[in-house]
Amino acid sequence: MFKRSDESLIEKAIGGDAKAWQQLVSRYQAPLYYFGLRLLGSPDDARDLLQDVLMVLCRNLAQYRGDSSFKSWLFGIANYRAMDMLRKRKATTEFTDDHDFYDDEAPSFEQQLYGQHTQRMVQQQLRTLPPEQRLVVELRFYQQFTFDEIADQLALSSNTIKSRFYAALDKLRTQLELTDVEQSANF
Amino acid sequence: MSNSQQIFEAWLAGKLTASECEQQLDQNSEWYSRFQTAQVIQRQAKAPFFAPVPEIDSMSMFAQQWQRPTKSHSWWPKLSVAFSVLALVISLSPLEMQMQDSGLTLSWRGAQQMQQQQLETLLASYRKEQQDYIQTQLQGTQQQQASQLILLKDYLTEQQTKERRTDMLELVEYLNQQRQSDWHYWQENYQPSQARLDLGTSQNTQNR
Repeated sequence: MFKRSDESLIEKAIGGDAKAWQQLVSRYQAPLYYFGLRLLGSPDDARDLLQDVLMVLCRNLAQYRGDSSFKSWLFGIANYRAMDMLRKRKATTEFTDDHDFYDDEAPSFEQQLYGQHTQRMVQQQLRTLPPEQRLVVELRFYQQFTFDEIADQLALSSNTIKSRFYAALDKLRTQLELTDVEQSANF
Repeated sequence: MSNSQQIFEAWLAGKLTASECEQQLDQNSEWYSRFQTAQVIQRQAKAPFFAPVPEIDSMSMFAQQWQRPTKSHSWWPKLSVAFSVLALVISLSPLEMQMQDSGLTLSWRGAQQMQQQQLETLLASYRKEQQDYIQTQLQGTQQQQASQLILLKDYLTEQQTKERRTDMLELVEYLNQQRQSDWHYWQENYQPSQARLDLGTSQNTQNR
């Protein structure tokens, strides 16, 4: 079936078309929730973030001018809100997240066998990164944004984004190597 | 930006395949390990994520923000608003409703006073207009009289000068005529007598 563009859905939603809004939400609901889940580490926080972002999106729908892609604009909002939540949380409690947000019942046995161990390991390593670096890795690898798009979203220079990205890679490399060594020692 | 960074970023952007990138970064251990780490994360990013997405009531958000309430077709509210507006207009405007002789009279409050004011204003403006006109006329007449007087004076002065000159000429002519006639008279009457006298005197002298 013909897929409507984000812009036309926004236009219709502004005109009061609830179906267009629903379509737009269903298109970005899952990516936003998983973004929150990976970045904040807690399903409750991810849910709060999703609700918050959808509320801001709904309120500011008419402010989207089409200067960048809608996804980029939307994640600009999500980034700001997520970092805000991380900052507030850091002020109250130190982040000691040990949530297991993988739904063990949903995938098939093969999928679980293939992916979940390494996925969990990578996620754990990602969560040890400073929030700014984690955000850049999330946006670059999981959301497939270019460095320039990330720089636009975070209102930073492209070089700053790159330096955060490479610092994150270096830190992850060290941690992944350490994990490998630990696992080999356990055997 | 180093060459290795360019190669790595070209792979990230999808311009190079993993094997091409691997070959080219083989000699640079730092960038090679970055590449390997990035590959691990990229693989994980592409793996499906199975956590269930919670249900958010986005429709109520939308309804509050963007959906317009359905228009009611009841005419009572409109009628109520219309009467309120009418009452407001009547109370604010100088319109007066009075019961007189078992009849309802609609009139403008302070109409006589307003007419009087208008009349006074008109009269004052008429008065001023008239005064201005008379003043202008007076000034015009004065100017005209002054110029006519100057013309008359010039005329009279000129006439006097002319008359005086004529009189003088006539006097001179009269005097000349008088002198002429005296001369003729002298020539005719006294010259011969004189000549005779002169002659008698000279003869006496000789006789002596």
